[in-house]
Amino acid sequence: MIRSTRMNRRTLLQTGVAASGLVLAAPSVLRAQSFPERNIDVYIPTREGGGADRNFRAFTAIWKEKLGTDFEPGFYPGASGRVGYEVYMGRAEPDCYSLVFGNMGPEVLNWAVQRPEFDINDYFYFGRVDTDPGCLFVGAESPYQTLDDILEEARTRTMSVGTSRLAHPASIGLLALGEETGTNFNLVPLSGGRNTVAGAVTGEVDFSVLTSGSVIASGDSTRCLLVFGENKVGERLNNAPSINDAFDMNLPEMLSSRAFGIHRQAAEDFPDRYQRLVDTFHETFDDPRLMDEYVAARGTPEYLNEGDVEDCAEFFDAMLELGERFRPMLTGG
Amino acid sequence: MGDTLNILGEVFLNTISHWWIILPTIFVGLIVGGIPGFSAANTIIILMPLTLAMDLETGLIFMVTLYASSRMGAGIPAILVNIPGTAGAAATPLDGYPMSKAGKGQQALAMSFVASSLGGLLTTVIALATMPLLARVGFYMHSVEMIVVMLFGISLIAAIAAQDMLKGLIAGFLGLMIGSIGTDVIYATPRGTFGFLELYDGVPLIPALVGLFAVSEAFVIIEKRVILSEDGEVAMKTPNWRDTFEGVRMAFARWVHVIWTSLIGLAIGVIPGAGASIASFVAYQQSRTYSKTPELYGTGHPEGLIAPESANNGVTSGTLVPLLVLGIPGGATAAIMLIVMQFHGVNFGPGLFEDNPQVGYGMFMAMMIAYLFMILTILPLSRYMSRVTTVPTIYLAPMIIAFTLVGSFVPREYMFDMYLALAFGVIGYIARRTGYHVAAILIGVILGPLLETYFMRALRISEGDVMVLFSSTLGNILWVCLVLTLTLPLVFDWRRKRKEILGK
Repeated sequence: MIRSTRMNRRTLLQTGVAASGLVLAAPSVLRAQSFPERNIDVYIPTREGGGADRNFRAFTAIWKEKLGTDFEPGFYPGASGRVGYEVYMGRAEPDCYSLVFGNMGPEVLNWAVQRPEFDINDYFYFGRVDTDPGCLFVGAESPYQTLDDILEEARTRTMSVGTSRLAHPASIGLLALGEETGTNFNLVPLSGGRNTVAGAVTGEVDFSVLTSGSVIASGDSTRCLLVFGENKVGERLNNAPSINDAFDMNLPEMLSSRAFGIHRQAAEDFPDRYQRLVDTFHETFDDPRLMDEYVAARGTPEYLNEGDVEDCAEFFDAMLELGERFRPMLTGG
Repeated sequence: MGDTLNILGEVFLNTISHWWIILPTIFVGLIVGGIPGFSAANTIIILMPLTLAMDLETGLIFMVTLYASSRMGAGIPAILVNIPGTAGAAATPLDGYPMSKAGKGQQALAMSFVASSLGGLLTTVIALATMPLLARVGFYMHSVEMIVVMLFGISLIAAIAAQDMLKGLIAGFLGLMIGSIGTDVIYATPRGTFGFLELYDGVPLIPALVGLFAVSEAFVIIEKRVILSEDGEVAMKTPNWRDTFEGVRMAFARWVHVIWTSLIGLAIGVIPGAGASIASFVAYQQSRTYSKTPELYGTGHPEGLIAPESANNGVTSGTLVPLLVLGIPGGATAAIMLIVMQFHGVNFGPGLFEDNPQVGYGMFMAMMIAYLFMILTILPLSRYMSRVTTVPTIYLAPMIIAFTLVGSFVPREYMFDMYLALAFGVIGYIARRTGYHVAAILIGVILGPLLETYFMRALRISEGDVMVLFSSTLGNILWVCLVLTLTLPLVFDWRRKRKEILGK
C-alpha cells in the first residue's frame, strides 16, 4: 500500500501541534539534560562532624559521580532538628538544587510533638540511606545486667531512663515496652547521643535508650539488652533480642533512618530534574564502592538500606501516627 | 609496672620524634584558638580528610597538640585586646586586659603562657598517674553535684557586684535572662526567641562573647589614641626581655596558685559534658575568695590571670580521661578525636589500655610534650605579641570589629550572628558607660543555660522533687563548701574591719 504524503488540513494541524509542543518542551528537555548545572545544596539539621555529616559525606562521595556535580552541605542544628528544616523550607529555592538530609525517625516524630511553621506535607523524603534500630542498654558496671533485672526493678519503682531527646523512636520503643509489661519508665532527655551513653555508663540514670549504631560505637562501656527492631549485627549488640521476639509483640521497627528530602513543589515543577535525582540516587546504591565508603565512615554495614519514595512515605506516616499516640507522654501534656 | 615504664619510655621517644608535626601544629593552634569562632574542634573537622589520611600516631599527636595549643591561644587576644578566643578564656581578660592597658602585656602574656603550660603539664602527669581514679569522678558528679559547681561559678556575679551591688545583680540577672532564650531542655519549646529561628538553639556564645567584650571595647578604645594608659605608654616605649622574664618569675612565684587552680580544671575536665568555661569561672571565683587581696581582682592582679589560664588548660588533660578510660568524650574536640581514632580501628573504653596501651599512653605523652614545646616556642614571642597594644586605636578598633564579626559568623555561618554580635556590642558599650559589668552579663549568658540544664535534669530524674538537690553525700559536701565560700569572705572582711577599728 502506498501512503499518501499529501499535506491536508488535518495533517497540517497535527504536525503543527506536535511541532509547537516540541518547541515549547525543548527548554525543559534541554534543562533536564543539562541538570544539574551547578552544585546541589544540602541542608543538614545537625552539627558538623556528627553521624549525619559522616553518613552524608560517604553517600555523596559516590552519588556526585552519578549525578555529575558536587554536593555542598550546610549545617543548621537546633531545636531537635527543627531549625534546619525551617531554614530549608523557608529560605531554599524549590528548584531541585536544594535538598534536606535528615533523620526521618526523630525528626518526623518531632513534628507530631512540635508542629513546625511550615506545612509538613510541603516536603517529602525520596531516598533512604540507612536504617538503624533503637536499643536499650546499660553501662558496663550497671547492677542491671539482664532485661529481667530491669523489669524486676521496674515493677518496684519508676526507673529513670536516658534518651537523647523525648521525641525519639527509641523513646517510643521504651514506652511501648512499658505498656506491654505494665511498668513505668521516666524518660530523661540528656541532649544528644554522647550524653545519653554517659548517663548510662556513669549511673546518672538507671539505663538508656538510643540508636544502636551509637551504642555499638561506645564499645565495651555499654551492654545492649534489647533492640527495638531486628538485631542484624548479633554479637556487636551483645546478641540482644528484638522487642517483638522477646515479648511477642508486633511493634514496627523503631528506626533512626537518614534520608534525602525535597520540596514537593520542586518535584512537581521540575519533574525531570527530580527524576534524575531519584535515578542517580538508585544508581549509587548499585555501586559496590558505596559500602566501602559507608564502612570507612564508621557506618554499620548491615544498616545501609536503600528505600524509595514509597518506603519513606510509609515510614513518615508511621512515625506521625506513633507520635500522636504517645504525644501526652512526650509533651508532658 | 616495668612493662608500663617500658611503654611510656617507648611512647616518649616516639612522640619526640614527631617534632616536625608538633611545632607547626602549635602555631596553627595558637592562631585558631585566638580567633573567636574558630576552635580546635572546628579545625579538626575542617582538616579531617588530612587527619584521616595520616597514620594513627601522627594523627593523634596532631589533634592533641592542636587541642592544647588552641586552648593557650585563646588567652592571647583576651589579654591584649579584651577578646577571649573561646568561652573557656572568658575569665582571662578580667585581670589580663587591665595588665595590658597598664603596659604589662608582655608580663601578662609570659605569665599566662607559663601558667597554662605548667597547669597543662602538671595535670597531664597527674591524669596519667591517676587515670583509673579520676575516671570515677564522672560516676559521682551527676546533675545535683553539677548544679552546685555551676553555682560556684555564678556566685562570681555576686563578687563582681560587690563594687556596686544593685548594678552587678542587674547585669547578672540580665545575663541569666539572655541565657534562657531558646528551646527548653526537656520539651524543646521555644522561649523568648522573638520568632528568630537563629535563637532556637539558644543565644550563640561566640557572638555574645565578641559583642560584649570585643565590639564594645572597640567602641570604647576608639575614644582614645591607644589602649594603653599614660603609664602603660611609658612602660611600652622600651620593650625588653626583662619584662618577659618578669612574667615568668611572677608565674613561678605563684606556683602553689598554679597547682591548685589547674587541679580545679582537671577535676571539672574529667566530668563528661563540663567544660573549660565552667572551670575558668570557678577557678577565678575560688582564687578570689581565698585571696588575701580580693579587692585587687579585676584591676590587673596576677593571680586573677593565673587562675583561669591554669584551670582551662587543666581541663584539656582532664577531658582525655573519660574518653580513654570510659569511651565517653568529655567535649566536642574529644568527640571528634573519638571519630578519628575509631576510623583507625581503635576502640576507646575499658579495654583500651590492654589492647592498645601505646594509644592510651601516647595521647597523654603527646599532650605533655606539646606543653613542653609550647613553653619553649611561645614564650619568646610575648615580647612581639605585646606590641599589639601600641597600635593606634584608629587602626586597631576597625580591625577588632572586622575580625570579630567574621569570627562570630564562622561557627554557624548566619549573617544574623554578626548582627547579634553588634547588638551585644551596643549592650556592652552602654553597660560600660553606665557602670554595669559586662563580665557579670557574660557569666549569666554562659553558665545560665548550663545551670538550667542540670537543674531540669535533676528535677526530671527525681520526678519533680526539689529535695533531690540535697539527696547525695557529695552534693551535700559541695553545698557546705559553697556556703563557706560565700560566707567566709564576709567573715574575713568583718574581722579585718574590726581589727582596723580596734587598732585605731
